[in-house]
Amino acid sequence: MRANRPRWGITGTMTLIVLVINVPIIMMVLNSFQTTADIRSSTSLIPKSLTLANYVFLGSSTPFFTYLRNSVFTALGAAALSLAAAVPAGYALSRFRTGLLSVYSSALFAVQMFPIILALIPLFILFRAMGLIDNPLSVMIVYAVLNLPFVTWMARSYFDTIPRELEEAGLIDGCNHYSAFFRIVLPLTGPGLAAVSIFAFLMAYNEFFVANVFLRTQQTMTLPVGIQMFMQQFSTDWGSVMAASTLMMVPTLILFLFVQKFITHGAISGAVKG
Amino acid sequence: MKAKLTSSNRSRRQFLKALIVASFLPGAFVGAAHAQPVEINFWDMIWGPAEYAAVAQKLVDKFNASQNDIKVVYRSVPWDSWYQTYVTAIASGSAPDISTGGSFQAVQFYSMDEIYPVDELIEEMKKDGSLSDFSQSALDTVRYHDHYVALPWGNDIRAYLYRKDILAANGVAAPSTWEEFRAAAKKVTKNGVFGLVCSGDQNGFQLMVTAAVNNGGGLFDPDRKPAITGERAREALQFVSSLVKDGSVNPASAGYSYDDSAASFMRGESAFFLDNPNVTNSDNAPKDKIGILPPLKGPHGDLGTFNGANNIMVYKQSKHPKETLKFLRWWSENQLPLWTEGHAGNLPVRASLLKDPYFQNNPILKYTADNYIPIGKSLGAAASGTFPQLNVVDGDGFLNSLAQRIFQGEDPQGPAQDAQAYLKGIMSK
Amino acid sequence: MNSSITGGTRVWRARAKPLMTPELTTSAVLLFPSLLLLAVVIAYPIAQGFLYTFTDSSLLRPGSFVGMGNYGRLLQDRSFWHSLSFSAIFALSNVVGCYLLGLGLALMLQRDFPGRGLFRVLLLTPWIVPSLVAVVSWRWMVSDNGALANKIIAAFGGDPIYFLSNGNWTIVIVILIKIWVSFPFMMLSLLAALQAVDRSLYEAAEIDGATRWQAFMHVTMPEIRGVSIVLCILMTIWTVNDFDTPWLLARGGPANATENLVVHAYRYTFARNDVGMGATVSFVTLFILMALFLLVMRLTKGEHNAR
Repeated sequence: MRANRPRWGITGTMTLIVLVINVPIIMMVLNSFQTTADIRSSTSLIPKSLTLANYVFLGSSTPFFTYLRNSVFTALGAAALSLAAAVPAGYALSRFRTGLLSVYSSALFAVQMFPIILALIPLFILFRAMGLIDNPLSVMIVYAVLNLPFVTWMARSYFDTIPRELEEAGLIDGCNHYSAFFRIVLPLTGPGLAAVSIFAFLMAYNEFFVANVFLRTQQTMTLPVGIQMFMQQFSTDWGSVMAASTLMMVPTLILFLFVQKFITHGAISGAVKG
Repeated sequence: MKAKLTSSNRSRRQFLKALIVASFLPGAFVGAAHAQPVEINFWDMIWGPAEYAAVAQKLVDKFNASQNDIKVVYRSVPWDSWYQTYVTAIASGSAPDISTGGSFQAVQFYSMDEIYPVDELIEEMKKDGSLSDFSQSALDTVRYHDHYVALPWGNDIRAYLYRKDILAANGVAAPSTWEEFRAAAKKVTKNGVFGLVCSGDQNGFQLMVTAAVNNGGGLFDPDRKPAITGERAREALQFVSSLVKDGSVNPASAGYSYDDSAASFMRGESAFFLDNPNVTNSDNAPKDKIGILPPLKGPHGDLGTFNGANNIMVYKQSKHPKETLKFLRWWSENQLPLWTEGHAGNLPVRASLLKDPYFQNNPILKYTADNYIPIGKSLGAAASGTFPQLNVVDGDGFLNSLAQRIFQGEDPQGPAQDAQAYLKGIMSK
Repeated sequence: MNSSITGGTRVWRARAKPLMTPELTTSAVLLFPSLLLLAVVIAYPIAQGFLYTFTDSSLLRPGSFVGMGNYGRLLQDRSFWHSLSFSAIFALSNVVGCYLLGLGLALMLQRDFPGRGLFRVLLLTPWIVPSLVAVVSWRWMVSDNGALANKIIAAFGGDPIYFLSNGNWTIVIVILIKIWVSFPFMMLSLLAALQAVDRSLYEAAEIDGATRWQAFMHVTMPEIRGVSIVLCILMTIWTVNDFDTPWLLARGGPANATENLVVHAYRYTFARNDVGMGATVSFVTLFILMALFLLVMRLTKGEHNAR
């Protein structure tokens, strides 16, 4: 048997690894509190003087908060659509074994293969005919599909953790499958589904490519696209660029902290098995 | 529960109906008397530093306050992916009424039947004599198939600026020919200072085009056939390449954006920089240390420089073209503050605006107006006039690759041949 | 089944499998929203996109039929072959890199040590930040002669390297960024797979006198083989389809060095307004990925059957 004493050696190595991996992020945050002149001229890693000037500049001369509002709104809609589609599908994959479902499972895997730009061109023309260009709904629909495989698999693995006996008990008592789902299973997967929805939200919030194609006016533009344009314009103003990136990252980190313990063993292996 | 349709009910309903209709009538009359101002969307590119957009907005507010019929909504559009922005807007039926943009945006979109030509405005100005404010060559940049597809407003001209302090410190005189330029650039390159800095984006390829037209050539020959591998363009690219091979060009240029390269020049890290001379007016420019070179003589004795024509276009999707033209005329006649306060980076097309002390009292700008504008050539040189494919040439990015490869030190033959083939592909559509 | 039916009929029904069991109907209903989304966003565009490859349409105007013209142009286009080879290099380097890094970290995280839970979370930051943030933070480290990387090089007495002006260096940087962003997913998935391995196998190996390395090679690796293959396929697909990383770093530059198939298709569609070619490049990418996937499936099935 191996010794039971705590392995500080590994802890030490891990600390070093984690620090190195996070250097780009750490430097970015530190830089956001310095002026561009200081960033250029500094010779050490530790900043000499800190300032909030970059954040003030961001707030006053960019529509940062408009973009943030757009991002949140779009991501919420995308998450809702994702859930509406993926949760029932995940439940079906978990509980039933039919030919349709195994075909669907393979199809879901194949969707991953799809270069989304191929869909964008006909979709652009379709959405144009429907008047949906520059409308967040277009992007929500595309995000729902992009997230569909991963979210479906996550949902499925949560449903896998609910023992079937519970529903079977319900079925014996006279429910049909639907009421068994809504009245027995759904309440139990609350935290799991919250995690799934936050995940869908995050994937939509962070996305750049599709948003860049479909949402191009200030009223609808999301953060990644808006900040990227800002960065083109002020590319030499590293202080502001760093501040913009740091701010954009904050909601992601906060939300992820809530969700991280649900990214468990089960979720990932469910994704992989699927 | 359905109400019974009794006769008393019926008359009550009819009375109610009449009442509802009647309530709209005063509204209709009121509407006619106090007509809602027509709303016009004006998309304007970012033509200057941070203050430009604010000054432009103020100017728009001034127009709105001066009359009650038209309300202009101003929107500032960044240059990043500009072509995609406009194509997407047009494709989705959400084009603005009026906009500035790329030099050839108007002619290309006109060929796709999305532009409302400004012939009426030109006619109007011809009749009252104000058209003489525009030079014939300026008007030629917007004439296509006998229609005026846009109204010119700016000359985005290029000239070589130089750092007086660096040349003085090295005992070098301001060059006036290509040979002198090459020698000067080589002499000053030492200790982290370079002869020339440039960028890998549009400014980079504009340097290549400047060299080509300076040598009496261009991307095209007079018959509009691609001529990047033609004699004059080839010599020009060879010249730029020789500067790179001498080590006189900052190696970071290929990866720089325009802003990076301008900031580098302003910090005194290079002796020469090709840009619109108006950049000397920006806040971070050490004005007393910067001068402008005379137009360089090419190896065959030619003079010439790149001039990007900036114009304002009206879209066919506009629901109020007459009002839009009215605003366009006002904007064109009253836009001086865009330079005096907004520090727009180009120079006005209108001769009357160029006479303003802001330009005349600035030796560099006056020199530019007198010596460079007359020798300015467009992206389509050595062909004349404008044509739709130029918009793709301008916005596609293949010329950026040409510039990047030469700045990376590659021999120009390969990049020139690739660019020539690509250009042929664009022209064949 | 309806219990009022007579015994004989019920037996017949039980033998012949009915077409629409309640399970099938319920599954179909549950799948309906997903199927609808997939039909609109995937199925319709595939069909439509395929048609576009035979035209010279633009975003503003439908074009005319050009037959196989676009495919012909593509095969003769040197920049297409470059995009293809860069996509392959990008995918291969990333998969190898993030798999090794992910596996190494997963093996460490498997053991119990103080702070394990915290470290697991802190190692996920590269994956969860938006792609723009990832690229910007790396870009600052290599941007010019005053950048962090060059300061470190200067400290060792070297000359500054202009990473983003040099095609090969930019390729290296874009690969590093992609590995940095991808390894957390690998790490988590492999950790899950490692934790699913039956402990008794390790105990048996220990009894047989196997060293740690032998246990790793003969117990661990075979056990996680299936999962590893699936993960590597997924990661390959995601990397080939990655637009954000090469675009945000250098627009596929300098001089198209980091232009992969997706950026290539994007430029055709949105910078040259040539939808026909854009669709053609995208379709060829899809064909290649499908062929790759089928090839791997066949290889692994073959081995499965052989076992």
